[in-house]
Amino acid sequence: MGAFEYRQAQEIRDTFQRHGVRYLFIGKSGAILLGFPDTTQDADLFVDRTTVNCRTLVPALRELGFALSDDQAQEVESGKDFVQLKNGPFDLDLVFAPDGIEHFEDAWNRRVEVEGFPVCHLDDIIASKAATNRQKDRESLPRLRAFRQYWLRHQ
Amino acid sequence: MSFVQAQQTMHGKVLDHDLGTEEIPQEWLDEFKAAARRPLKLRFRYAFIRTYKPVLDDAPFRAFDTMVAYRRWCEDNLPDWLGYGRV
Repeated sequence: MGAFEYRQAQEIRDTFQRHGVRYLFIGKSGAILLGFPDTTQDADLFVDRTTVNCRTLVPALRELGFALSDDQAQEVESGKDFVQLKNGPFDLDLVFAPDGIEHFEDAWNRRVEVEGFPVCHLDDIIASKAATNRQKDRESLPRLRAFRQYWLRHQ
Repeated sequence: MSFVQAQQTMHGKVLDHDLGTEEIPQEWLDEFKAAARRPLKLRFRYAFIRTYKPVLDDAPFRAFDTMVAYRRWCEDNLPDWLGYGRV
């Protein structure tokens, strides 16, 4: 499997739109969509954990090429806090309850759209990383906060 | 899409209007400006890389009831050098 490509992000966007899945790019992949120059491996999606949304998510993921068994589909539908998919054309992390963000609706109302990609606001991405407080987040936060200054000045 | 265009399609409002007073290191500033000039497709090519992550990449599917359970699993199972441990 190669690195996540722009074409695959477009496939997520278009497929999820067709199925009516509500989601936001979050984490470093979200920051990259906003212009943050850094490297990462996976795409992270913050998915709205309503029953209806989780049900629409499963067929959308299957259409994208993720080989979900019925048991796995059930786990996605039940709205676990975190699902890690490595059984498709690219790696995908589904986050239903990111640290540092209380409600999906709040993040949705603050979202930024870049070429049709719904992306968490940089403040939410930073809040989430700060709350998670892993070693790798600690290392990326100073540069991310500096980028926030730059990004806001150029609006 | 430029940052200006991105902001024009921003929904809601900025959480914190404090733009900060700390000076951005010149090297980072140059990188931010260079990235802003690149189309998104090219930014993707530079940003997404693929390297094998031991343990983490060894299962096709994982689901965790809570983020706490996921963080604990990372700390208990992943090598420290991957950086998934909480500080």
